[in-house]
Amino acid sequence: MYTMVDYESKVHNVYFSASFLPTEKLKLYGTVAYNKAEAAMAEIVMPDPTAQLTNLNYTSGHDLNESDFTFEEMHTYSDLAYKYLNFEFGGSYKLAETVTFTLDGGYADLTDDAPYVYGDETGSMLMVRSGIMVTF
Amino acid sequence: MKRNAIFAVAIGFALLLTLASSAIAGEDNETVNKYSLWIGGHYTDFSDYTKKVGEYDLGNSEGLPEFAGKLFSRSSNSIFKLYGHYYDDQNIYGVANATVSDKFKAAFMYRSLVHRSGQDMLANLNAREFYPNAPPPGLGGKTLTHEILDPGADYDVHRQEILSKMEVLLSERNNVRMMAAHRSILKDGTTQKMSNDHCYGCHTTSRTGKVETRQHQLETGIDADVKDFNVGYRFGYRHFQSNGPDAYGYWSEAKHPGSNDPKWAPEFGSRVLFDDTTLAFGVLPETEKMSHKVRLKGDVGKGNLAGSFVYSRAENKSTTLTTDAYAGAARYAVPLSPKMRLLAKMSMRRVTADDPFIDLPTFRAGAADGNEKDFDYIRYSTLDRSEFKASAELITRVNPRWTLALLGGYEMTNRDDYVAYDDGTKTKKMIGQAKLRFRKGLRYSSYLKYRFESISDPFVSARGLFESSGYGVLVPAVSGSSWIFYWQREALRYQDITSMPTQVHNFEWRSTWQPSKTYSLNLGVKGKLDKNGDLDSLDVEHTSLVPHAYLNLMPNMKWTVTTGYTYNYDKSRIPIAIALFDG
Repeated sequence: MYTMVDYESKVHNVYFSASFLPTEKLKLYGTVAYNKAEAAMAEIVMPDPTAQLTNLNYTSGHDLNESDFTFEEMHTYSDLAYKYLNFEFGGSYKLAETVTFTLDGGYADLTDDAPYVYGDETGSMLMVRSGIMVTF
Repeated sequence: MKRNAIFAVAIGFALLLTLASSAIAGEDNETVNKYSLWIGGHYTDFSDYTKKVGEYDLGNSEGLPEFAGKLFSRSSNSIFKLYGHYYDDQNIYGVANATVSDKFKAAFMYRSLVHRSGQDMLANLNAREFYPNAPPPGLGGKTLTHEILDPGADYDVHRQEILSKMEVLLSERNNVRMMAAHRSILKDGTTQKMSNDHCYGCHTTSRTGKVETRQHQLETGIDADVKDFNVGYRFGYRHFQSNGPDAYGYWSEAKHPGSNDPKWAPEFGSRVLFDDTTLAFGVLPETEKMSHKVRLKGDVGKGNLAGSFVYSRAENKSTTLTTDAYAGAARYAVPLSPKMRLLAKMSMRRVTADDPFIDLPTFRAGAADGNEKDFDYIRYSTLDRSEFKASAELITRVNPRWTLALLGGYEMTNRDDYVAYDDGTKTKKMIGQAKLRFRKGLRYSSYLKYRFESISDPFVSARGLFESSGYGVLVPAVSGSSWIFYWQREALRYQDITSMPTQVHNFEWRSTWQPSKTYSLNLGVKGKLDKNGDLDSLDVEHTSLVPHAYLNLMPNMKWTVTTGYTYNYDKSRIPIAIALFDG
């Protein structure tokens, strides 16, 4: 038996990015991005299986009339729900005509509100980077 | 192999550095040389599950050194650019470009990255038949179970790509140029491999498989001007091979799926291809593809004509199966008036593939009742087909602000042997499209597009979805027995199914408003609706809607701000089928 079902996914993406030059020697920049993704199937409502069961109940002891064909939870098996927040920042300062100091980094945080086959994928990552650039 | 890759990268950079040095050696007053070197380090820190948020990172909480360098050199007749970035030992990028007047161009690129993937815990593969009156109470014999043989395994693949391209002017007379290009993709690491055992119950096992694949592509060719045309030839070669060890899985002894009684092992063992044996699975074949392409472009009448013809042969070296393809394409653009032009395109393709003979063990070989069955067959390829595409687009500049483009098209795919041998289906597609552009100076522009496709007989999985009840329909194949075999149920299958539509509506609108140099606003929306109403009661339908808004601000020379929002909505109306299965 079968029925027709709607499967919907909704993804929101919003970002804000800015760069600022306070002085000739100093450059600053940063980005904030937020992503929210959801996917879900509508509830599965199967047709009445009585007619099919009548034909199947010919084997002794195998009474499918006592089986449950409502499938009330099936549509939730494949639910997906993620939230992802990402910050990036950075800057550079010119120490001399040919020497520049840089500092940048990022923080990403993922929240898995509906763990599926890979388990709970909630996690976060921080990266900080710094160095010196020399030009010739 | 890693040493070979490093050697190839070193050779590539050394070659381009030599060429750059040659170019710089001839420096004059116009020579510009710029170099920069960045030396630093980074620290990463992870918490909880690392493989999703750090999918392309090593995933360790640690500090590592990091380097980057840039070189730019320009003389009166040459330009050389070099950039390299080392993040860690598996994330490296380098690119070099050299151009010497119009006579020589070369490019080289190396990219290395790591991709970590999670472990599918197979938790959704767990089911058992339910019989309220069967012993033990409620549990039937047919089961679906799973087993992770490497719980908690870390899977990651190191992907390296090496790309090089070179073009040389051989003769200024007739503008004769030769080109050669190369691309290699090397993958090393581990991945999750799964095998399915169906000798008794359905049992899925997962284990670590080793990845060691090598893909190499070469392209070489020559171009020249011949009278009013530019003509060219390209030879292409691609080779793929997996050098990693095979993964092995065990296929259990065949037994009765309900009673598990070993006395039925010979009966059920003679019905399956293999049982109680260990075999390699998921083996990647060695493949090779060669292609020859000739092309031509030039002015014909008042318009411009471009055409090409390609022959290619792909071979699965592990099975010696081959696929041949012939393809031709032409494009003609011609102005019909100062405000109107016509763009016509046409292409054809013919694909044929080998039809292998599938030699299977005899079903129920040696059965006491003498009822054996031979399932040997020829697998006619679904690839065998002829394709034809044609379209014509009329582009009119209605006035200085408005441009209208109208397109009509026709596409046809004629399959030789699918759904049935020598009785394939023919898919036809009619296309209509209208595009409207509006521009008011540099302050405002807008674009509107609508496209409609009507498709007859799209590709379907024939009789692939449902199986009607066999009770009272199927009769025992063995005289004097009540047995109904699985293969007999093939006669019960019905209902074509596909995700391919018979009608498609596409629309797009986007608009940019830039009242001054300090800010601009971009708004737009893309939408698609497709459906297939030819599948009896299965009205398969897909809807997607993607609106967006972007804002760019530059209030003064110190500040730059960009912000935006995108929403992506998708809905699919699909059939969900539940098997009612009673032996």
